[in-house]
Amino acid sequence: MPLLMPLVVAALLFSIGIYGVLARRNAILVLMSVELMLNAVNLNLVAFDVWLRDELLSGQVFTLFVITIAAAEVGLGLAIVLLVFRNRATSQLDELVELREADALRGQPDVRAMR
Amino acid sequence: MSEALLPLLLAVPLAGSMLMLVLPGPLAERIAAQLGVVVAGATTVVAGWAAAAAEDVDVAWVPSLGLRFHLGIDGISAPLVLLTAGLTFLCLVYTLRVRPAAGRLRALVGLVLLLEVGMLGTFVALDLLLFFVFFEVVLLPMWFVIAQWGDDTVPGARVAAANKFILYTLLGSAVMLLGILLVRAETGTFDMVALAEADGAGMSRGVQILAFLALALGFAVKAPMWPLHSWLPDAHTSAPTIGSVLLAGVLLKMGTYGLVRIALPIVPEGAEVLAPFLGAFAVVGIIYGALACLAQRDLKRLIAFSSVGHMGFVLLGIATLTPVGVNGALFANVAHGLITGLLFFLVGAIKDRHHTADLEELGGGLYDRAPRLGGLLVFGAIASVGLPGLAGFWGEMLALLGAFDPDPALHRGYFLVLMGLAGLGVVLTTVYLVTLVRRVAQGQSVARWRDAVLLGDATPAELAVWSPIVVLVLVLGLWPALLLDVTDPVVRSVLGG
Amino acid sequence: MTAVVLAILAPTVAAAVGFFSGRRWPRTAVPVAVAGAGVALAAAVVLCARAVRDAPLGDALRGPRVPTGTIELGIDLRLDGLAALVSVAVAAVAFAVQVYSPAYLRGDPRYSSYTALVSLFTAAMMLVVFADDLFVLLVGWEVMGVCSYFLIGHHWEQEGARAGAVKAFVVTRLGDVGFLFGIFALAFAAGTFNIDGARLAALDNGIPQSSATVATLLLLCGVVGKSAQFPLHTWLPDAMAGPTPVSALIHAATMVAAGIYLVARLYDVFLLAPATLAAMAVIAAVTMLGAALAALAQDDIKRVLAYSTVSQLAYMLAGLAVGSAAAATFHLLTHAAFKALLFLAAGAVIHAVGTNQMPDMGGLRRAMPVTFVTMTLGLAALAGLAPLAGFFSKEAVLGAAEESALHGSSAGPVPTWAGWLVLVVGLLTVSVTAAYAARLWLLTFFGRPRGSGVARAAPHEAPPAMRWPLVALAVPTVGLGALGLQRDRLPQWLGVDEQLHLGVVTSVISTALALAGAAAVVLMWRRDPAADPSDRLARLRPAFAGAFYVDELYDRVFVRPVSAAARAVRWTDDSVVDAGVVGSGHTATRLAGWLRLAQAGNVQTYLTGMLAGVVIVAVGVVTLT
Repeated sequence: MPLLMPLVVAALLFSIGIYGVLARRNAILVLMSVELMLNAVNLNLVAFDVWLRDELLSGQVFTLFVITIAAAEVGLGLAIVLLVFRNRATSQLDELVELREADALRGQPDVRAMR
Repeated sequence: MSEALLPLLLAVPLAGSMLMLVLPGPLAERIAAQLGVVVAGATTVVAGWAAAAAEDVDVAWVPSLGLRFHLGIDGISAPLVLLTAGLTFLCLVYTLRVRPAAGRLRALVGLVLLLEVGMLGTFVALDLLLFFVFFEVVLLPMWFVIAQWGDDTVPGARVAAANKFILYTLLGSAVMLLGILLVRAETGTFDMVALAEADGAGMSRGVQILAFLALALGFAVKAPMWPLHSWLPDAHTSAPTIGSVLLAGVLLKMGTYGLVRIALPIVPEGAEVLAPFLGAFAVVGIIYGALACLAQRDLKRLIAFSSVGHMGFVLLGIATLTPVGVNGALFANVAHGLITGLLFFLVGAIKDRHHTADLEELGGGLYDRAPRLGGLLVFGAIASVGLPGLAGFWGEMLALLGAFDPDPALHRGYFLVLMGLAGLGVVLTTVYLVTLVRRVAQGQSVARWRDAVLLGDATPAELAVWSPIVVLVLVLGLWPALLLDVTDPVVRSVLGG
Repeated sequence: MTAVVLAILAPTVAAAVGFFSGRRWPRTAVPVAVAGAGVALAAAVVLCARAVRDAPLGDALRGPRVPTGTIELGIDLRLDGLAALVSVAVAAVAFAVQVYSPAYLRGDPRYSSYTALVSLFTAAMMLVVFADDLFVLLVGWEVMGVCSYFLIGHHWEQEGARAGAVKAFVVTRLGDVGFLFGIFALAFAAGTFNIDGARLAALDNGIPQSSATVATLLLLCGVVGKSAQFPLHTWLPDAMAGPTPVSALIHAATMVAAGIYLVARLYDVFLLAPATLAAMAVIAAVTMLGAALAALAQDDIKRVLAYSTVSQLAYMLAGLAVGSAAAATFHLLTHAAFKALLFLAAGAVIHAVGTNQMPDMGGLRRAMPVTFVTMTLGLAALAGLAPLAGFFSKEAVLGAAEESALHGSSAGPVPTWAGWLVLVVGLLTVSVTAAYAARLWLLTFFGRPRGSGVARAAPHEAPPAMRWPLVALAVPTVGLGALGLQRDRLPQWLGVDEQLHLGVVTSVISTALALAGAAAVVLMWRRDPAADPSDRLARLRPAFAGAFYVDELYDRVFVRPVSAAARAVRWTDDSVVDAGVVGSGHTATRLAGWLRLAQAGNVQTYLTGMLAGVVIVAVGVVTLT
């Protein structure tokens, strides 16, 4: 089949994954979207591997690596989400903002020189 | 031996400073002042010897960058080295008897000695980056001196003043560093002697102008030149007595010394183009400083603005680009260091006794309460006016003479106008200083001080510190050749070549 | 030349000793000071004798050179007839003052610093007299100014003394700035800072007229300031707040004469600049008459004498303006004698009566006979009555004016109108001078004692220490006129190429005018001995008394704007210059605040940013390569 079809599908999957990562508030949904993005990448790699007729099958080999790493990462990520949920009773990313800076203009030190 | 003199000059105070760090706490606290005096005294002796007999030191420092540890002393730097060593010595002798309110003498002495290393290093460095290093070394000790031992009547004021001082001066130095790097990029060397001899070769006119602008900005903040002067009044108001003396007596000279040693010889075309601006700002500073003094309420702030005015004369002398003008600038440098140093000592003594430097609260009648102190204050004021016969006159006069007949590349009519305005500044200086004498020394004491029992006249220890300065002011005033014989040959060769 | 050095050093040493040991050993103050003045006087007399015997005298002492970067300076001294004669006047008056002061200032707590300052002043004036380098002269000139400042402010508890001292110093310093610029101009024109060198260059046609005019006009600024001529005359009357002996020495005989002396010294240069001479004539004329009219309306005896000094200095300046340095110097010498006498005598009167105000005096001639006689002689000399010294010197000036008016001056460059101006105004002033002198004489010594309270308590003759200087000064007041009897004698001693002109017609007219002026006042007084003759001036009196409101004008034009400017500068420094600096700090902090907004804490925001960046980079790479 022409190369374009898997590429388009991969691109679509990737875009959906991006949307999910950036716009969904639930942490688990974000992890799912990350998985989507990784799988899109996998599809891309395999498609190009076949089209290029690589001798070493480097694209497919790389895909195996990506699958493994994705599995490990999702395991870790879900563990973190679980612990956060236990501590905070929420898994909404909006509410996990401890590292936020205080309001920009409030609480400035006074640099006016004294006379 | 004579090659080791200049490194020794820097090593002695550094060793003293380190000693303060190393000695055990209680012991150090007890002998800090005495040790400081010994070290400073030794430095003064070495300085005198070095001024007479030292040879240049030129060792490779960072060969890959082309940096060399190049030290040297000549007619331009010798008087300033002696001034630095002398004033630091007198300051430390002063701390023997007049302990600072905040205590921690060991730290103070250590910092002052470190400051001395920086000041002396600036005057003897002959490599641009080495000069920059020493230029910056003085900033941190001075920050500590102002922020930790300064006047704490208004809480937070001393830290704010110290912050302002260090940030402002650092900004100027950063710009100056850019200038130095520009010079290096164009000529390939950091060595001041070689660059001065090259007389601007290898740098196009535009580059020279840019380099001079960058260098001069850094020096102008230090000098201080109007309108980059506003760090000075706050720093002086908050600084302790010896901090003010060293700040006014030596640190300000580093800026003008830099102009004479670096900016004028290395980028002469840039100097020619920008000298009129320098002259204009200098004259504005003279008049502005005098007028600001007339309206001040705080005694230390008043003397600080008078410094702006006096350094205006120095800058005017430099702006004329003539041997006369530069001779005058160098003379005025030394004279101002002595006279304003003395004035800050006296004002510090007055402030210590009355716990205020506010003119309204002090009232008049100092002649009555403390005749010697009042008399010395008047002497300092008259010297500051620039009376012929005292050291302040010759520098200002030679600067004006330089403006009367400036370098042929400069517009004479313009400089004659500047000269006239500077003359007006002389009259205004007289006005505020005699007004000061009238308000503080003459008249009747206000009720608050009339009954106070603890206000003593100048103690023998204080007089011992101030007398050498008074004598030097008189000697230099009556025998200007003492200094001019030293500076004139070097200035002629620097400007001529 | 050792006598020259001695004349300068002896008072300097006396001053130094006085400053250091005067407080601890107050009884040494008087002997040290008198010794210093005495040595200077002896040296000056020796020099004067030499000048008379060896006329024309010209001897120089060249000291070490001082490099400047351009024309070099030298510590040079010069002895010639002019210097010798003036030095005697200075030393004599200084000695008289040092003898007089202990009695006048008895019980003064700061006497040692007073005498030390008077000694320092004497040394400085000697330096001015003998200087042969413009800067050596300037050092002496300014040290005199500062001594004057300190001495006027001697009674610094009083507001009048403080104010007078400040005014004197500032106004003279204003003139001195012009003076400094004049030194620059002259040195560059003549190629040297040496005074004799400049003079020789002038004689040699080495100085173009334009340079000479610029230089002399600038030097004139300093002269006008130091010698209290219009428009820088306002400081002298207020300087009377100082002790009377100080007024006698500094503000009558010596310092104020230094300006005249300078012009006489550099006269060859001034002769190259007719414009300057014309300016001098105008200034002299205005000052002469204005000050005399002001003297007529004063109530304070010292202020009368102060304005009189201003007026007489104008005579000297006029003499210089019309081409006769010899006449001006002659008047300088005689004025030193009789004005010092008048001030010291006034001091005796003030000491006896306890007040300066003439309306509170009266009838003192019986109580103070010696003072009366000597003061009468002094006033007569002031009015210019023959055969006293003042007559001859004044006639010399008027004669020189007549000479230049009628024949064009022998010196050449003086315009004829200047001669006429000086002559006419000079004659008018003679009349007014005689009038105010007579008024002072009558109000002080005649009529019934008018004083009240303290002033009335039994006035007594002055103590001997105060009387002897009066008598001593009366001698030259009477006898110095002899110098004018021979046309050539004084000019020869001075070493100038001139002659004194004493015209018979002018003398007769001026004597007649003087007698008329005095007579008018005497007649007015006789009509009502208790009233002040000047009350007849009616509406003009306040204008005269306030010296035509010049002081008020200066206050409005100079003092107030400067104070306003000072306040404006302080405001600008706080609100504009410093605000810029502090504002930069605020701006930096505010910018940082806005940047902090990017730290939202939300991971997704960060990721969005990163993505945007990646997209931009990718697009960039694709399009640009």
